[in-house]
Amino acid sequence: MTPLERRYALLGLALIAPTVLILTAVIVYPLLSAIYLSFFSIYTPTLAGKAVGLENYRTILSSAYFWHALWTTFVWTAGTLVLQIGFGVGMALLLNQNILFRSLARSLVLFPYFISTVVAVLVWRWLFNDLYGILNHLLIAAGVIDMPVDWLGSMPNAMVSVITVGAWKFFPFVVIAVLARLQTIPEHLYEAARIDGAGTFSRFTDVTLPQLRDVLSIVILLRIIWDFKEFDLIYLLTGGGPMDNTRTLPLIVYQQAFGLNQMGMAAAYAVAMMVVMLVFMLAYLAYSRDRSTP
Amino acid sequence: MTSRLSTVILNIVTWTLVAVIAFPLVWMVLTSLKPQSELFTIPPGFLPREVTFEHYRILLTDTPFLRYFVNSAILATSTTLLVVTVGALGAYSLVRFRYRGRETLAGLVLFTYLLPSVVLIIPLYLMMVKIGLSNTLASLVIAYTTFSLPYALWLLRSFMAGIPEDLESAALVDGASRMGAFFDVILPQALPGIISTALFTFILAWNEYLYALVLVNSDQSRPLTTGVMNMLITAFNIDWSLLMAASVMMSIPLIIIFAFLQSYLTRGFGAGGVKG
Repeated sequence: MTPLERRYALLGLALIAPTVLILTAVIVYPLLSAIYLSFFSIYTPTLAGKAVGLENYRTILSSAYFWHALWTTFVWTAGTLVLQIGFGVGMALLLNQNILFRSLARSLVLFPYFISTVVAVLVWRWLFNDLYGILNHLLIAAGVIDMPVDWLGSMPNAMVSVITVGAWKFFPFVVIAVLARLQTIPEHLYEAARIDGAGTFSRFTDVTLPQLRDVLSIVILLRIIWDFKEFDLIYLLTGGGPMDNTRTLPLIVYQQAFGLNQMGMAAAYAVAMMVVMLVFMLAYLAYSRDRSTP
Repeated sequence: MTSRLSTVILNIVTWTLVAVIAFPLVWMVLTSLKPQSELFTIPPGFLPREVTFEHYRILLTDTPFLRYFVNSAILATSTTLLVVTVGALGAYSLVRFRYRGRETLAGLVLFTYLLPSVVLIIPLYLMMVKIGLSNTLASLVIAYTTFSLPYALWLLRSFMAGIPEDLESAALVDGASRMGAFFDVILPQALPGIISTALFTFILAWNEYLYALVLVNSDQSRPLTTGVMNMLITAFNIDWSLLMAASVMMSIPLIIIFAFLQSYLTRGFGAGGVKG
């Protein structure tokens, strides 16, 4: 290394230093601290605690509560993911066509993704309102149902409602990513397919789908991670009810820490949840590394 | 003839779906403009028979909404300024300097971007209690860096990587220092990227709910998200038109930002953010 290169390396380190310091204080330290806390039993209001070793984990793994919540989390994630991807890809394909007022249509479709989850939840709770909600009125008027439906307070309605609102809120992310990719597919690929006699459908399966494969893999991994850890939407729509039937793992962490005042137990739930998520996080990291280094 | 028919069908199908997707937000605006009495008619009318801005007036004068709004504005602005400043320097370092551990660091940043907030919230809560910052906006600014700094760093990194290295080399040959080149060459070139990163960060901070729920428990420093939810929970009679007016009001800054960002989003910028 020449002196100049060394000076540059030092300058580079100095520039990244604030980032490293902040991330150490607000992420690395809390993360390690969460793992440490999971070996304690701590009463939230007084923060008095004693070490209990692996007891918290033993309790979690042997409780039906945890396994039920894990299953609930999987149902929510899988359900909303399928809708987001199916609807997102479909909508992106439509919005890529030459339709009237295309950019207005695109803005309207993207908007649910940018509003606060609080706003989304308030609006949907009003739509779902059992007495005066428009949804029940429309469905009764259309003859689909004859009695107002309790959308959030009974099962399986609550899970279906949460999955639907989740899909509505987050599918635009899929639209953005897929639409951006669709616009970069070279036209000559379609020309070549057309010359080879491919119809609309086989042009889609032979040209469009293979081109979308990469972006879809990434979008699916990211959406799995984000849906799995989603707190706001479910907490605000149902609060985990009815009877814990929509209580996913993130809601349990919150409930243990600030509802039941079991901070150590909450930390153990959080760590257990992270371990499940780690599979998808590592898959995402590996995937994005493969692609960024040629 | 058939192709014209299929164009018509395509337009009808697409616009029907768009209308269904947009309906909840349209309904939000319409509800906020209806007098209370019109909400409870059966069947409900679509358009308000009589347009009223009464709910907006009540919201601004009789509820703490305005304070929440100011709190959110301060919170989102401070978070954005902090994160974009630190992130721009960090991204420049990750893109243009060579030192050991650089790639590992970049990977770790991406990893932190995926971490769930509920894992960090317990230790962060303890930390804020210990250093006496709980119930302050400052505690939220600190907590918000957990998700916004990795996010901003990642976006800025991809923007800066797109700036040709020759521009900087030319400035260096002309005798500029590295930091001189950063301010004279990199910053102006990266400005569109920095602005859109700032806007995205602002949206994230504006919309955050969980940290605000846990770390702040006083009306004095509550931001909009938890503040408006509090109006729902503590209400004796839920006033839906008031809540819809609040929802519209808290979405207005986002609509303005969205108008700025729209060209980026539809021109493929989204993929840059996703691709990482």
